[in-house]
Amino acid sequence: MSTALDIQTLEAAAIWYVQLKGTNPCDAERQAWRTWLQASPEHARAWARVEKLHSQWAGLPADVSLTTLAGGRARRREVLKILAVLLAVGGGGWLATETVPYQALMANQRTATGQRRHVRLSDGSQVDLNTDSAMDIVFSGQLRSIRLHRGEILVRTASDVLGRPFVVQTPQGTVRALGTRFTVRCGPGRTDVCVIEQAVELRPLDNPVQVVRLDAGQQSGFNRQQVGPITPAPAGAGAWSQGMLTVVDWRLADFLAELGRYRAGVLRCAPAIADLRLSGAFRIDDTDTVLENLRQSLAVNVRYVTRYWVTVEPA
Amino acid sequence: MSAPDHAALQVLYSEHNGWLKAWLRARMGNASDAADLAQDTFVRLLTSRDVTQIREPRTYLSAIARALMIDKFRRRALEQAYLEALALRTEPLEISPETRLLIFETLVAVDTLLDGLGERTRQIFLAVQLEGLNYVATAARYGVSVTTVKKHLIRAMTRCLLLTED
Repeated sequence: MSTALDIQTLEAAAIWYVQLKGTNPCDAERQAWRTWLQASPEHARAWARVEKLHSQWAGLPADVSLTTLAGGRARRREVLKILAVLLAVGGGGWLATETVPYQALMANQRTATGQRRHVRLSDGSQVDLNTDSAMDIVFSGQLRSIRLHRGEILVRTASDVLGRPFVVQTPQGTVRALGTRFTVRCGPGRTDVCVIEQAVELRPLDNPVQVVRLDAGQQSGFNRQQVGPITPAPAGAGAWSQGMLTVVDWRLADFLAELGRYRAGVLRCAPAIADLRLSGAFRIDDTDTVLENLRQSLAVNVRYVTRYWVTVEPA
Repeated sequence: MSAPDHAALQVLYSEHNGWLKAWLRARMGNASDAADLAQDTFVRLLTSRDVTQIREPRTYLSAIARALMIDKFRRRALEQAYLEALALRTEPLEISPETRLLIFETLVAVDTLLDGLGERTRQIFLAVQLEGLNYVATAARYGVSVTTVKKHLIRAMTRCLLLTED
């Protein structure tokens, strides 16, 4: 039996791995790595472990793996609290699958900038995640709940055989669906809700007795203390789930701020043209083409400092 | 294992196996799971310390059994999460039952490897290894420098290498 590898050797292997994986290594770097590898059989053994792990991980499907690991941890956190108590007092039968008290489903769903995702939930409800969004799906025996951490979702609820309420929780409060289709957008300090079909109820976190009902075609926003005024929902709310951004008589600055959510990097609007007005339907999957269209239709200049730094300015 | 150890283990087994099985059954609600774990507990003893040195056999046995029970529970929690993750997919994953199992075993290994790492180290490791994010994008997501991302990755990788067999 071979001896255990010492921690310095393993750390050296880890450093090489991180270094070589991160960048396209130059010849000198590759040569240095080869020299290290051949310097001792221990190094070669450590590197063999690196390759073993690497090939194992390479076969993992990303979304399923991330959801599984997050879900396993969430379950464990909940049950370990109960476990600690029960182990101490010797409770009976709790570990049998049927009797695990926490039956929640927790799944981490996340999109990157410019990405959208359609998710079908176990009860038949559907959720679209807009660009740069993150949510957890938490279903228990009593409640169907979505925790929206960031970004925007479009929800179509299905009626539940168990009759469980459906809620979206944000840092500012909760949105309870009354059998419906609606969008929830979670911004800094504020949640905006727009109802497309039927109705929802809004409850600010610190003021749960203030319940405000929103009906189809209405929108409103709330912070932790209160719900703001109710206004008519804009045309094309939720159109992003079809890849469209629809605007009617928007300021150019507002439009670019919205468009900027769908592209990586910085999209700036020069103050001199901020108040230009525009209307139309735009494809958010191809923001470069949208900018090109703006250049032609509004007679503005689109200046690319880099791919990720774009300024729209007077022509 | 030396002869006195062997004898001591036999005594330990005959005196406490019945008690241990009952202890486990009370907590697991399932006689066959309890019998399996009792067996595993004694197997663990074989490979651990000098059996003759054990002063409080039942305290010691129940400590091992408890750890094994938690392992079993972790595995079950992960298994549930895995089935749900597969069910949650918009398009079903077209894979054979063997691959399905292989993926699960790898996830159990990853979960064990990452246990005990800090939350941030874990997040960064998963972003790079599983999501396939590059260092710059990872650094931007967590609001840290690329150097910090590398530090976290080295920490995670060193731990993984330490816990991996040749």
